[in-house]
Amino acid sequence: MKEELIISGRMNPNIDPVLHIWHWQIPLYLFLGGLAAGILFFAGLYTILGKGDKYRGAVVYAPFVAPLALVLGLIALFLDLKHQLYFWRLYTTIKLESPMSWGAWTLIAITPLSFLWAALNIREIFPQWKWKFTFLDTLEEFFRRHIIPLAWALVVLSVILGIYTGILFSAFNARPLWNTSILGPLFLTSGLSTGAATIIILARSHKERMMFSRIDLGLIIVELFFIVHMFMGFLASTQVQIDAAALFLGGPYTAPFWVLVVGMGLVLPAILEAMELAKFRVPAIIPASLVIFGGIMLRFIIANAGQVSRWLY
Amino acid sequence: MNERGVERSKKYINPYLGGVLLGIVLIAANFVSGRGLGASGAVKSVVVEAVDIVAPNHTENSAFYSEYLELHPQPLKAWLVFHVLGVIVGGFISGVLANRLKFKVEHSPRITSRRRLIFALAGGILFGLGSQIGRGCTSGAALSGMAVFSFGGIVTMMTIFATAYGLAYFFRKNWI
Amino acid sequence: MGPLITNGIISPETDLLLAFIIGIGFGFVLESSGFSSSRKLAGVFYGYDMVVLKVFFTAGITAMTGLLFFSLFGWIDMDMVYINPTFLTSAIAGGVIMGAGFIMGGFCPGTSLCGAAIGKIDAMVFVGGLFIGVLMFTEGYPLLEGLYNAKPMGMVKISEILNVSDGVMALLFIAMASGAFWLAEWFEKRSKKVEY
Repeated sequence: MKEELIISGRMNPNIDPVLHIWHWQIPLYLFLGGLAAGILFFAGLYTILGKGDKYRGAVVYAPFVAPLALVLGLIALFLDLKHQLYFWRLYTTIKLESPMSWGAWTLIAITPLSFLWAALNIREIFPQWKWKFTFLDTLEEFFRRHIIPLAWALVVLSVILGIYTGILFSAFNARPLWNTSILGPLFLTSGLSTGAATIIILARSHKERMMFSRIDLGLIIVELFFIVHMFMGFLASTQVQIDAAALFLGGPYTAPFWVLVVGMGLVLPAILEAMELAKFRVPAIIPASLVIFGGIMLRFIIANAGQVSRWLY
Repeated sequence: MNERGVERSKKYINPYLGGVLLGIVLIAANFVSGRGLGASGAVKSVVVEAVDIVAPNHTENSAFYSEYLELHPQPLKAWLVFHVLGVIVGGFISGVLANRLKFKVEHSPRITSRRRLIFALAGGILFGLGSQIGRGCTSGAALSGMAVFSFGGIVTMMTIFATAYGLAYFFRKNWI
Repeated sequence: MGPLITNGIISPETDLLLAFIIGIGFGFVLESSGFSSSRKLAGVFYGYDMVVLKVFFTAGITAMTGLLFFSLFGWIDMDMVYINPTFLTSAIAGGVIMGAGFIMGGFCPGTSLCGAAIGKIDAMVFVGGLFIGVLMFTEGYPLLEGLYNAKPMGMVKISEILNVSDGVMALLFIAMASGAFWLAEWFEKRSKKVEY
């Protein structure tokens, strides 16, 4: 046996930055998870508020996207795993201090709920739909009677899911760019914003579209605020954080981040949504698609840049 | 479209004011980046990147691509690519403000849409080819070249306009 | 002071970010001047709408004199500004091909992007054509290489060829442009109105 003296944490494998440990799977999964969280949050919220009839895009149509997004996201996540056959081990423990444990348990709860929600609304798309077994009718009846607790569960779980997509990065304390707790609220807001954008695309009335444009505009402003504060926090911190911020302030990620995420993914859709509210004619699909595009780019750029950011040695 | 709609969608700014603003943008480009404006170069970046992805062996063996890729290892991370992204955004915002967003084929009432599109395609192909031979298009060679007194740029500008005037008679049906 | 990039005031990455912002200005001015409409652009060749000539030459002389003043005040080092190199043969050959493309397609690359941005389908087709044309060049480069590199004259300026100072040259351009503007206005009034 070869003996080794561990004299520094740096001797741990892969502790130094290596780009492309995390490929496209993780950022894609984080985007899809955030998107599903955003959609389900609004579906639950408007059901609780009793406005399901007015906001049918949010409560009925957009939620069909959520199970799809979750399944695709989980496939991406599974592809990324090294020991794919052992993923079930996550479900043998509950660790409150581990974001992966939080994520695994939240997903196992919210994914079936998203399917359940879609099943309850299936007749909106196929009016002739009939369940094969009578006990399913009974079950449907049961959930319809308890739709409000179900909506509450969606709201709570989607907020946890949304925050978790960011915390998964922040818990990684060997990468200074990720090691900021602002990523949690930032990714949650971004997820809600992409969810609102999906609802804008699938909205059933002009009023609903306008409502969600307003919500989305507010979310974008909050998101910009988080981004500015993230950088202020980095710059006021230690040298490693300042170096991490420099990746975006003149470094290699400057142009992609400020042009693709902030410029085209946040500021431009915000301007277009504001113009739409000011009665200019803007095809709603354009700001909405830009928001979704920006959400994807945010995850990919943060995932990539984080893998480059490093401690000083 | 109603009378007011037509009028509202025709609010172009005064051409001389537009020219001064365009001049200021061009000064800004020179001041910031030491270069002029452009458009066709971004198309080249995309073409090279696309060919490199589709047929990497081909780009390795061809002198043009391999030289280009050596000078620009990341073709899409180019000044003109970001510039052109901005052009599309700026054009779109102006179109929203002036209420001009609309899917349509613009053509003279004397020709069909089909004919217009065929000529647009042919014109695009020629302009794409010509801009590469002439080292820049109307923005990159002619306008930006003129601002810095580039002899080549001014020659290109004069030949573009002279040729177009010379051929105008043959294509008049397309336009008037 | 300027150019900011060559003097190291901004990083190459920030330069790309500013390229985007400058592009927004470019696209905005082009579109609001009416350059997103092929029939408006083509008007310059038939006299019914001279907007291309007016905008183009106003922009040219504005930038030209602006840069001269910037250089005079020491705000920009013109030796560090890129001056398009002159290859006489290819400049003429390219210009002829582009001129034919202009009268047939009704756009140039920059204006076609603006037209495409506001939904002009003819502009989108033109942009598609650009890709084909550029691909023809990159693929046909071995054949075109001789033409492309013939008669290199370096970064030569027209003022050097005519042996006058840049200031006099700018004055000459302003005089020519003013004459052209006067002609353009006269022509526009005289020519038959075309509805588009």
